[in-house]
This record gives sequence, structure tokens and C-alpha cells, in this order.
Amino acid sequence: MSSASSEAAMGSHRLGGATLFALSARQVTKRFPGVLANDRVDFDLLPGEVHTLLGENGAGKSTLASVLCGLYKPDEGAVLRNGTQVRLISPRHGLQNGIAMVHQHFRLVDRFTVAENVVLGHRNLPFRLRVNDLEDQVAQVAERFGLPLDPRATVGELSAGQRQRVEIVKALYQGAEILLLDEPTALLAPPEVEKLFETVRAMTQAGKSVVFVSHKLGEVVDISDRVTVMRDGRVTGSVARGEADTRKLAELMVGRDIDLSPRRSRVAAQETLLQLDKVGLTKDGIERIANISLSVRAGEIVGIAGVSGNGQRELAEIVAGLQAPTSGEISINGSRVNGIGTRNVRKAGLAYVPEDRLGTGLAPSLSIVDNLVLTRERGFLVDRKTALVEAEAFIKQLEIKTPHAHTATRKLSGGNSQKVLLAREIFAAGENSRVLVVCSPTRGLDVGAVEAVHKLLDDARSAGKAVLLISEDLDEVLTLADKVLVLYRGSVVHEVAGHEVDVEAVGLAMAGLS
Amino acid sequence: MIIGNLRIELEPRLSSPKWLYLAVPAGSLVFAFIVGGIFLALTGHSPISTYTSLISHGYTSSKGITNTLGLATPLICTGLAAAFAFRMNLFNIGEEGQMYLGMIGSAWAGIALAGHLPHLLAVPTVLIVGAAAGALWVLLPAILRAKLGTSEIVSTLLLNYVALNLVNYFIYGSRGFFRDPTTSFPQGRGVEETARFHSFGTSNTYPTVIIAILLAVALYWFMKRSNFGYETSVFADSPNTARYAGMNSTRLTLSVLLISGALAGLAGAMYVVGPAGKVDPGLLQIGLGYAGIVVAALARYNFVAVILTAILFAGLRVGGASLQISSNPVPIAIAVVLQGSVLLFALGGEIFRRNRLRIRRVEQASVAL
Repeated sequence: MSSASSEAAMGSHRLGGATLFALSARQVTKRFPGVLANDRVDFDLLPGEVHTLLGENGAGKSTLASVLCGLYKPDEGAVLRNGTQVRLISPRHGLQNGIAMVHQHFRLVDRFTVAENVVLGHRNLPFRLRVNDLEDQVAQVAERFGLPLDPRATVGELSAGQRQRVEIVKALYQGAEILLLDEPTALLAPPEVEKLFETVRAMTQAGKSVVFVSHKLGEVVDISDRVTVMRDGRVTGSVARGEADTRKLAELMVGRDIDLSPRRSRVAAQETLLQLDKVGLTKDGIERIANISLSVRAGEIVGIAGVSGNGQRELAEIVAGLQAPTSGEISINGSRVNGIGTRNVRKAGLAYVPEDRLGTGLAPSLSIVDNLVLTRERGFLVDRKTALVEAEAFIKQLEIKTPHAHTATRKLSGGNSQKVLLAREIFAAGENSRVLVVCSPTRGLDVGAVEAVHKLLDDARSAGKAVLLISEDLDEVLTLADKVLVLYRGSVVHEVAGHEVDVEAVGLAMAGLS
Repeated sequence: MIIGNLRIELEPRLSSPKWLYLAVPAGSLVFAFIVGGIFLALTGHSPISTYTSLISHGYTSSKGITNTLGLATPLICTGLAAAFAFRMNLFNIGEEGQMYLGMIGSAWAGIALAGHLPHLLAVPTVLIVGAAAGALWVLLPAILRAKLGTSEIVSTLLLNYVALNLVNYFIYGSRGFFRDPTTSFPQGRGVEETARFHSFGTSNTYPTVIIAILLAVALYWFMKRSNFGYETSVFADSPNTARYAGMNSTRLTLSVLLISGALAGLAGAMYVVGPAGKVDPGLLQIGLGYAGIVVAALARYNFVAVILTAILFAGLRVGGASLQISSNPVPIAIAVVLQGSVLLFALGGEIFRRNRLRIRRVEQASVAL
């Protein structure tokens, strides 16, 4: 991709004189079996612009991004680069035209170094690789765009944020002028997000354009020059910075009014139902959980914030009885439950919604009915008649979209399968079950589904349950929790009441800087 | 794939219509017969008359169908054994060896116990001991799998060879308990008369066929309705979910493999109470254990469908064998070719059940750089 040729293209293909878009989609239509993923979509990207493509899961934004970067070929319509139509046949071909995409799930070789990953797939490498030269080049690119990276580090040992930087450096090294970032902040801690935004600013100053593909009304929207919203495969609106607030954007995404304002306990908290006293877990000689004490009372939500991998999973599994703590005491409803096994912990009054809803909380190939009986006592024969009646009631009450109660849960959307899981753990678990542990309940869900899940958790609280909400999504914790705890490297490093939260302090604590 | 100006694509189906579940196996049968027909034509046999004779000797004549049902009886059991384990992603391919052990165990019971038992209890005891011996043969691989995660594929397969040599040793290598002491010819010692079933009339079908069919239906019901069936289906679908729900994976793995071994052992026991009446090395030649895996795969691990696929396969065997003694003998290999082709086409046909074949005209090639 030489700049000379793109300038030539600029000269000869000016559209109506003034505006020239770096990248455009014109009436792009893309069909998949049973789905119209993009329906005559128009999209324009200016040089040096930060543009967010916003939409719920299945709205068609990722499909559009894939068309723009050359991964998919559109069934109808055209992709224009600098005003000239290009027929991209592969992501490599897209890259030759200066378009690169960073996927949400990184495509890196864990055992290679940063430099090796960056140059991987580059066409014009010399036969004999001079590793030092390559490393210097990679370091130069990284430095220019404010991406601190050690080119000699092994990718497998890097954090999610660092891996993302490797992907970005890789795209820039290969000459990308336009960068499409799919859910770029999903895995990052607040300080890492700030770093990413600095890089984005450095890129736009160099005349490069950035597209964020996102389903969240978070930070990415705030730093965008323009936001284009998609719903059901169509563009529902395109607004410049400052022209629309969160509420308006949410409405464009979902097609109806959405309430994402904070929800707090409306009843006075009562007796303590879940108590952890100096709980610790050491595994393979590594301390995973260190000396955690906390209590959750009936009618309150205690939120655990923190970046993924700081002990959330272990903490949840200890409380749920799937792992026994190596020290400390846990009690539910006043009775000690250390190491009695998950079935007995459930009998003591626990319900548990794990983070991995489809591979752990639900059996994906089994029906909704079969999944409802998963965590209850079953006799010699499984009673599916009662479960069927319950399933049909839940489908109606929670508006679960499914052909029928015998549909496999993997065929449901994320939001609907989460509703099945929550229905089982909140409503079908029995009177005695009053402690609810919930992990990242809205990860990957649409705004509409997030609202529904938050309402369910709020209702559970109002019904007098003690809820422990463990989530990597800080906004979620701040929206729901009556008390916020920050988990860092297995310890609680920060504790504050929900209505007194200082977001900056929490962010620093999450990064281990408090 | 592009041929000329036609683009041929497979497009995933969102859901498979019901008729395809029947059409694909039926189609694979037709294609297998076509492939077999090519082999027949190449070796100088008329495909039509060979197939007519095969079908008559295997299925439609009264002698043919009773021979087929007789052979299908143990095959249903090994098929159930394979289906039972494979459904839970436990790949027990030691049905062959477990069946031999079932033969040895039941022969022992038929010789040593049957004489001391009331008439009515003799046959059931012999069958149960045979099943237990089959289960015992898979015990070691099951423990290794459940406790240490050792691949059951390798361990069960290797034990097949041990079992094979065990049978050979009892009959040819030693003059021990299982060998007939009354003659110098190496053959098994007969079990008590009370430990055997009489066949129906002069046919080669034994009442064990009813047991095998009832067993298949009972297993179908049990696995669909019982808590055990439920837990195994959860475990097979997602081991993490099973752990989350507090299911005991060690116990589930052990019991599934042991039941699978017992079913294979039962196949050997049915051979003893039926046609053999002793430890008979003839069983080693038929390969009913391995065929059971094929039968189960073809039935898509559905217990009731196993009955049908076992009868289908047994018929091909019986019909194929009888072709050898016609005026223009066809080698038995043709039956094996047919069995192999049926399986290949059935598994390959899965693509057409899951995907839709689309042929489109390609627009004039716009080859980009």
C-alpha cells in the first residue's frame, strides 16, 4: 500500500468535491442461513476519525466490520476505499489496502515473542531474519504510538491489555491506515483503557482512522467523534459527539426506552446469611485467595469488582462448595459449610450462577426443561412434568424467546439462556435457598438483556435474598451493589458503601495502585 | 468448490427435517450396494443375481432370517455395550475381549454351578456370571480412566488381545478346566444341559434374542427417564456442568464402563447358553465385538435402533457366507466390503443431514489481486 497511489485515487475519485471518506460501505447486504445480517447498510469513515459502530449482539455490526476488513464478501453493495470501489477477497487483501481488524479473541501465537508475532504473516520478510533489526522496528512502531511493549517478551506471558497492544502494533507495522477494534475494552482494567485511548489519539493525529465495534455504551462512545447505531441488520442512526446521551443511544440500539440507572436496596438489610471469615486458598504453592472476610445480609447486594483473574473464580467456587478453602470459615444461614461439597452447600441454602453460563451453569445440548432439574434433588426417575410446567411459566413470565420448553439451551441467545439460568437459581431453588452467588451475569449480553438481568437481581434482593455479585464489569457492580469490594491478587484491597463510591479510587484499586 | 462456472457449496442447516434421519441411512445403504456391485462386476459376478441371493439367504427366506436373528442376538448386546459407553464419550472398544470373558465366565458357571441350581435359575445365573465377567474385564481400564484419566481407548483395545490369548490358552494351550477331558481333540468342556436354551424348532434362533430385544427397549426407557440416564447425559454434554451440579464423575465413569462391559459379556454368555454350550474358539473368528461398535455408530447410539442395525449387519454376514457355496462362489469379502461401505456412507452422509448442498452459477470471475 503506497501512499502515492492512494493520493492518486483521491485526486481522481473525489465525491462531490469536499468530503472524501477513508472507508465507506454502500448498501451492503450480507445474508447467512436464516439471517439477514446486514440489510443495505451505509457506513462512512473520515480520515483521522474515531467512529463507534454500536449495536446489540446480532445487530450486524461485527458482520459489517468483517465485510469492511475483507473477511466476508458482501452479497450486494460495495466497499469503497478513498472513494474507489475495492473488492476485498481476504483479510490479507484488506491489509494491502490499509485496513486491519483486531478481533475480540486475539489471534496470536502464545509461544512466540512479541516481535515474532508482529512480523508473522508479513509478505516482504527477508529470507534470513535479522531478529535484532525486527525487534528494533517493532519497538519503534510501538513507541511512536505510545504502546509500551517489550519486543522480546513471550506473548503467552502477557496480560490481555498487552496482547491487545501486540495486535495493534502488528496492524500498524503491516501498514494499516484504518483499524477496526472489536470490543476493545472488554478485557481491560480502567488504566489500560486509558492507555488504549492515548494510542488511539496518537493514531488519529497521524491521520489514521479507528472504528470501535461495541455493544456497550461505555467509554468507547465517549471518545468517539461519531457513533453509528445498528439494530437488526440496519443502521438506525448516526450521531456526532455531543449530540446524543446514553439514554438516546440505548433507545436507538434496542428500539425502546431503557433504564440503566443505579438500583439500590429499598429495604433495610436484615440478618447475615453469608459469612466468610479469613478465608484463604493456596493451590500448587500459590496463594489464590488471601484472608478474605466478608458478610452478606438478607436484602443486600455485595459487589466484588476487579480485573479478571484476580481470584474471582476461586472465590465463587469456594463459596459454592466446588473447592474447599485451605483456611478460614464459611457459613451459610449460620451453619458452617467448609468442604461439605456443593450438593450439601446447596441444601444449606446456596444458589450459584457461574460466569460460564453455557458450559458450566447449563448443559448446552439439553433442553430448558432438563436444565431446570439440574440443581435439584432428583429421585430414581426424573420428574420432567413439574419441570415442564415451571419452564413454561418462566418462559412466559421472563419473556424468554424460545420455540418451546424442549429447545436446547445452546440454541438460545445469551440473554435468554442467562434468564433460564437465573430463573433456576433464583426461583426454582426452593424456599430455603436464600444466598445467591452471581458471577459476571451480563457478560456479552445486549443492553436490553442487561436491563432484564439487573431487574431480576434487584428483585431477588427485594425478596430478601443475600446476593454476592462478582463481576469484572465495574459499571454493573456500581449500578447494583449496596457495598463494593475490590479484589486484587486474591485480597480485598478496597471496601466502600455503594452510594459513597469514588470511581477513581475503585479504578486504582482494581489496578493494584491503592 | 468451483467446477466450470458452477459454485458448489455446503450451507449449514439450522435444523434437520425428521425425514432426513431415515433418508440418510437408507441412502447410504443404496450407495453401499452400488459400490459392492462394482466390486462384483469387476470380479465377474452379476450384481443383480448376487444381491437377490444375498437378500434371500440373509433376510427373506425362513432359514435365512432365523440364522440372521441367531447371529444378531449377541451382536445386539455388543452394539448396546458400545452405544452405552460412546454416548457418554467413553470409548470402550474392548467389547471383543469383554465378550470372550463373558463366554469364559458363563462357561465356568455352566459347568461348575448349574448342576447345583434349580432348573429355572440355571440359565439366568449363567448369563449373570457372564455379564459380571465382562464387567470385570473392563474394571481396570475403568479405574484408570476414572482416577487417572488414562485413555480407555488404548487400555480396552489392548485387553482384547489378552482375552483372545486367554481363550486360546484354555482350549489349545493347556488341559485345564475349560477343555473337554473326554477327547484328545482340543475343544471346550460342555456346560450342563440345564444351563442351555433350546432353539426355536430346528432354527438357529434362541430365546436369548427376546432377552436382547427387551434389554434394548428397557435401556432406552431407563436412560431416558432415570436419574442415572439424566446424569450421564449432562456429563456427556458438559463435564463442567456435571461438576457444577455436584455429580460424582468418578462414579459415573466407572458405572458406565462397567455396564458397557457387562453388556458385552452378556453377548458371550448368550453364545454359551445358545449355540455353543462351551468355550468355543469359533467366536474369535466372527469379530462380533468390533462389529458391535459399527452397529452402534450406524444406529447413532440409539438403543432401539441398535436392534435394527444389528439385524441388518447379521443378515449381510449370513447372506454373504451362503454366497460362497453357490455354483459361482462369491468370496465372503464382499459382505465385508458391503459392511464397510454402509458405515462409510452413513458417516459421510451426516454431512448432508447437517448441511444443505447448494449449486450456484458464478458471476463472471472478478479476480482481485
